[in-house]
Amino acid sequence: MSEQNRSPDILLNVEGISLSFGGVKALNNISFDVRKGEIRAIIGPNGAGKSSMLNCINGFYHPQEGQITFKGETRKQMQPHKAAEQGIARTFQNIALFKGMSTLDNIMTGRNLKMKTNFLWQALHLGPARREEMQHREAAERVIDFLEIEQIRKTPVGRLPYGLQKRVELGRALAAEPDLLLLDEPMAGMNHEEKEDMCRYILDVNDQLGTTIVLIEHDMSVVMDISDRVVVLDYGKLLADGTPDVVRANQDVINAYLGVTHE
Amino acid sequence: MEFMENVFVLPFLDIADSPVFFLEVIISGLLSGVMYSLVALGFVLIFKASGVFNFAQGAMVLFAALTLVGLMEQGVPVVIAILLTALLMVVLAILIEHMMLRHLVNQEGIILFMATIGLNFILEGVGQIAWGSDVKKLDIGIPDQSFEYAGMLFNTLDLSAALIAAIMVTTLALFFQYTGTGRALRAVADDHQAALSVGIPLKSIWIIVWSVAGLVALVAGILWGTKVGVQFSLVLIALKALPVLILGGFTSVPGAIIGGLIIGVGEKVVEVYWGPAFGGAIEGWFAYMLALAFLMFRPQGLFGEKIIERV
Amino acid sequence: MFYREAGQFKNTYHADQAIFPIIQDRWFMALVLLVAFVVIPLWANEYWFQAVLIPLYIYAIAAIGLNILTGYAGQVSLGTGAFMAIGAYATYKLCTAFPDLNILIVFVISGFFAAGVGIVFGIPSLRIKGFYLAVATLAAQFFILWLFNKVGWFYNNNPSGTITAPPRELFGIMITGPEAHALTRYYVSLGFLSVMALAAKNLVRGRVGRSWMAIRDMDIAAEIIGIEPLKTKLMAFAISSFYCGVAGALFIFCWLGSAETEAFDIFLSFQIMFMIIIGGLGSIMGSIMGAAFITLLPIFLTNVPPMIGIPIATDLSKHIEEIIFGVLIVFFLIAEPHGLARLWQIAKEKLRQWPFPY
Repeated sequence: MSEQNRSPDILLNVEGISLSFGGVKALNNISFDVRKGEIRAIIGPNGAGKSSMLNCINGFYHPQEGQITFKGETRKQMQPHKAAEQGIARTFQNIALFKGMSTLDNIMTGRNLKMKTNFLWQALHLGPARREEMQHREAAERVIDFLEIEQIRKTPVGRLPYGLQKRVELGRALAAEPDLLLLDEPMAGMNHEEKEDMCRYILDVNDQLGTTIVLIEHDMSVVMDISDRVVVLDYGKLLADGTPDVVRANQDVINAYLGVTHE
Repeated sequence: MEFMENVFVLPFLDIADSPVFFLEVIISGLLSGVMYSLVALGFVLIFKASGVFNFAQGAMVLFAALTLVGLMEQGVPVVIAILLTALLMVVLAILIEHMMLRHLVNQEGIILFMATIGLNFILEGVGQIAWGSDVKKLDIGIPDQSFEYAGMLFNTLDLSAALIAAIMVTTLALFFQYTGTGRALRAVADDHQAALSVGIPLKSIWIIVWSVAGLVALVAGILWGTKVGVQFSLVLIALKALPVLILGGFTSVPGAIIGGLIIGVGEKVVEVYWGPAFGGAIEGWFAYMLALAFLMFRPQGLFGEKIIERV
Repeated sequence: MFYREAGQFKNTYHADQAIFPIIQDRWFMALVLLVAFVVIPLWANEYWFQAVLIPLYIYAIAAIGLNILTGYAGQVSLGTGAFMAIGAYATYKLCTAFPDLNILIVFVISGFFAAGVGIVFGIPSLRIKGFYLAVATLAAQFFILWLFNKVGWFYNNNPSGTITAPPRELFGIMITGPEAHALTRYYVSLGFLSVMALAAKNLVRGRVGRSWMAIRDMDIAAEIIGIEPLKTKLMAFAISSFYCGVAGALFIFCWLGSAETEAFDIFLSFQIMFMIIIGGLGSIMGSIMGAAFITLLPIFLTNVPPMIGIPIATDLSKHIEEIIFGVLIVFFLIAEPHGLARLWQIAKEKLRQWPFPY
């Protein structure tokens, strides 16, 4: 949050990304960077290409042009699980939890990449496999404590109310101990109180764990409050990039949000 | 070495040797392909309108054919027997909707699929208890004779089947494209709940489409039954419709037709020319392997649209 | 009143993650094992071994295999019969080629053969899903059986075209072949089932099982949190086929004694599938319950009606069986998609509150 503990290192650099589906251009030559330890917001009207941008960052979509540099490594195409191995975790606009599994199992699944014993040990459930399972259970419990969801530990997530599901999804992403956390509308559909809770968790994650966060959000007051810098997209183009105050003052942004017709 | 020759050289020599015979093989393949298309059509109809992959389509073919033969054995005149069977298929559709589909609205596709496997067994059991499980001959007066034309052998039954199939396909395509019911059917296929919310009567739509599929099954049953006799193996023939669907795409009526023709021709040609090299009976799996190979390159089928996944 | 967790506190995560965290469950399981290993062998006769118990255990192994693939990893397969056939034919080839090899080891090696073929037919699962995959597995079903039927090498060119279990012994006890006692074969089947069920339970409650379920529930999200779809699905295919392969080997060598490829046709695949639907998708215990149910129902149908004075022809009872299976499948999918396993759980929950429900 505060200026002094923000290091100038660039964690993620997006350069000239263009993505199209058939003839539709979803993203058009987008460039921006994310500094280590900051909270970076991506805003824009519906269909601006925000989710597509996140999908490019974690390798789910493959942009036709441009490149992404994460932790100094540049890549053009990448599979999502490789991105996860590099330390990128995310949540989804429409909740994408594993419905048939309990909260605890969902969060444990988030730690999958960190578990190494082979399946023969697991079939025996002895020695290394058991030690590993216990060690990760402890880590998962820390996440559960952090998000205050102890009481729903063993509940199948399909039965949880919407707000809690969102929280479990955040937990699953946190369990991976990512360097970069992508949040796709973490507060969509929440009431005021739930939003405040979620904001608190996001700030705590950023503060206590030092996780860099990129988030998409529609609620302007939230965005302006918690983010360090904001990127504004509109119809696949980059409209503005800067601190909340700068963005708020930008005429293009105001036009886009107030619905001035495009020439 | 000899095997390699049998696979890579001799068949082609044979083809070059007698192009007329090759043409005859292809035509007979096309005609039996039409029969596959007919069964596949029943699948496509139900899948389009209810998103249900109806594994029981084969059992419906058997059930319809058994009922028809059974009635005719009781001395019922052909036309009345066909009408009665058609009526029974409609009743069956209503029963299926009431007892099964109604309770499975909005379930995942795979659950519905498994439920139709259950339905498959019920129909097989009921049909065979009611009408016995011996092989029966079905003759409703379609001529089954061979004749020669331009040096090639044809069969009147195959030709009638092709004609009937062509008529049915055209009718169904028009029905889907141009009637209100057709539009409603397509809406239901997209999303059960959304269709309900705009006031499409889901239940009656389902009854209609299962009835139509039942009637298609009856036609397929009559044609197959006349050709190979009414027997349990009709169910296995119906399974062949699955690779046809893979080729054609699950939601495309023309796809079902073309897929059927491809499988029909492919199977005949391979059996005639390559069968000896492999010891015969390739027909049992060729269609599935072809579909499998095809899936690897074009998972959405010939006519399906490419799906863009979103998160 | 006798079955409740109140007062049973867990101090370690280890205790909380035990297979049976509640003490009464542990006692119950011990009792089941005692009955299976000691009581039944003392009491059962040849008929019970041959007609009920041995097939039940063997089917249960195959059902666990299919449940791993379908119930846990979410990949539908109609090729179970073929994978069982691979196990059976591999065992036949191995034990005729290497007569001195320990027969139990042969069973396991045959499982690996099935696993290998399973991986090959699992490759399409990366690109295709749901019913499409079901068709791919049908290709395996028909192609593999055709191969075993056509290529004489697989049945050592014997004129009858069948494979027969040769007599093999271990520590002086006949395990397979016509001389092998039913009791021995019972213990072999039970032994395999116990070990394999435990291993499966361990797998599904650990990392591997969670990856499978993640792929099943939401494959895109699974990939994004770092689960490799190809590796995970192929592993499910391999392990599932291994189970089916071992079951297929036992099917011939510990139960039927000899068979042709027809024994492994598509109806066997369906039968195994029914077991997991009725028993419960995504439950190891359910697989065993489903196997028991499907094995016992025909026996019940052939024996009970005549007892109460309604004779039924075998042909008719076969069709009635079909109808009952079909009705049950539809019923379970509508009423209780988690099958008998879930009913069992509900019963336990009721018992937990009994006799004071509030």
